[in-house]
Amino acid sequence: MSDKNNRHGHKSHYGKSFLILPIVFFIGTYLVLYMAFAPTVSTFVSAVGMFFSDFEKNYSTDYKNIFVPVSEDSTLPTVKKEVGNTTKTLIKIDNIEFPNYGNQFGQLVIEDCGVDASLFFGDGNIALRNGVGVYSGSFIPGYGGTILVAGHNNTYFNGLKNAQPGQIVTIKTSYGNYTYEIFETAVKKAKDSSAYDLKADRENLIMYTCYPFDELGLTNKRFFVYAKYVSGTQIDTDVKEGD
Amino acid sequence: MSKKNSQNKVKSVIYVMMAFFMSCLFMLLSVSVTLQITLLNPNFILDNMNSTNYFVEKRQEIEQSLVDLGYASGLEEEFFENLLNPVDMYDDTELYFKEYYTGKSTVIDTTRFKQDFNSALDKYIEDNNINIVSTGSRDYLVKKAAGIYSSSLEIPLFARMSTYILALKNIMPMMIIVFSGLIIVLTLIVIFTNSWKHRALKYICYATSGATLTVGIIPAVVFISGKIRQINISSRSLYGLFVQCADNIFIILAFCSVILLITSVGLFFIHNNMRKKLLND
Repeated sequence: MSDKNNRHGHKSHYGKSFLILPIVFFIGTYLVLYMAFAPTVSTFVSAVGMFFSDFEKNYSTDYKNIFVPVSEDSTLPTVKKEVGNTTKTLIKIDNIEFPNYGNQFGQLVIEDCGVDASLFFGDGNIALRNGVGVYSGSFIPGYGGTILVAGHNNTYFNGLKNAQPGQIVTIKTSYGNYTYEIFETAVKKAKDSSAYDLKADRENLIMYTCYPFDELGLTNKRFFVYAKYVSGTQIDTDVKEGD
Repeated sequence: MSKKNSQNKVKSVIYVMMAFFMSCLFMLLSVSVTLQITLLNPNFILDNMNSTNYFVEKRQEIEQSLVDLGYASGLEEEFFENLLNPVDMYDDTELYFKEYYTGKSTVIDTTRFKQDFNSALDKYIEDNNINIVSTGSRDYLVKKAAGIYSSSLEIPLFARMSTYILALKNIMPMMIIVFSGLIIVLTLIVIFTNSWKHRALKYICYATSGATLTVGIIPAVVFISGKIRQINISSRSLYGLFVQCADNIFIILAFCSVILLITSVGLFFIHNNMRKKLLND
């Protein structure tokens, strides 16, 4: 009788062990694994975490085009500033949509050379496949610095082989049109960093492509075309805090 | 009486600890078997490549990269249209995996690709009457193209992991035998040292139930979080392959968990029936 009573008393707790103990085993197993491997695995886990983002990757090869042609007589909001002894009209920086890497933001035209290419910010594969690209470590037109533009010699920059001093280069953007005049061409080594000055304190345009133009294979020479700034409204880059 | 009770309690604790150890062994066995069937099997990745249309997408990617190289080298886009053959790509990849898993090599053999590329280049030069000024430029172009081909077909980081994967491949069968042996030994100990057989089944049921949770939580967390699809791989074909392989690995783990669950449920019912029979007697 007492055995039966014991069994009945035990019965209410009996089935619970089939739920509780497996959960305890589950927690215990991962505790043991954590204590044994955390010092070595945590670095690996942190490294692996860098391979994951917060969303699925987009494999589209489409690029964003922010270029809206500006007519010659259109007016953008500007501001007048004293620069040295002169008063200059500058484009307010808030009115410019700055391109991100890979965006088309303009058009580059050299009528005398037959060059008419979409202008991208960045010189990656997608940009050079669809037009010519501004090196992302240089400047965009209107910023008062060096604009370094790359293109392939057998596609959009094939016309550069006809480049001569005095020819006009036009860059059209959504915030204004800019013109430059070619004053020099040169053939230099691909890794010759003296071929361009990214720290120049005046606006200038440098276009380059592979050389020779009709050579089959990869070459180590580049054809550089240098152009000086002629016209186009500059951007007000001197923005004070609170403006 | 109290001495007998305390002895029984000590025995219970020992059996529970043995059940916990068995649970850990079941988990390790499930993971080992999963790895042996998947990552350590040379045909696993190849089979997944076939089921994900990997070679068709990979061909498009390599062709696009070669076209970009061609733009910088004076080659028209049409030159690359029929250069790549998915069958040859499959053969090169199959050889790569065979040699990888036997420890012979961790790189794609580009001999055949270079021959095809050079033949196509010779024909292109002849058809277009091109005058080659420098053979060095042409050789560098072929080398670059072969580099694009091999780096596209090779699995990233595989070369770095080859030592570990090969070592694991060599010891995994032994580990599976050891884990299985230990489980069998522990099961026999639990059964033959327990005078009440239904209690022995109870402890084995605890072990399989614990292992069900331990093994099952991994695929559950991975699938619910959807983290696999958020991996940042620049190649679309490789992304598809990675997701497919990872899904299959976790599905096999889930399957192991289901087998353990079925075993637990079966053991529970057998234990219950035996216990009821004893109580009625």
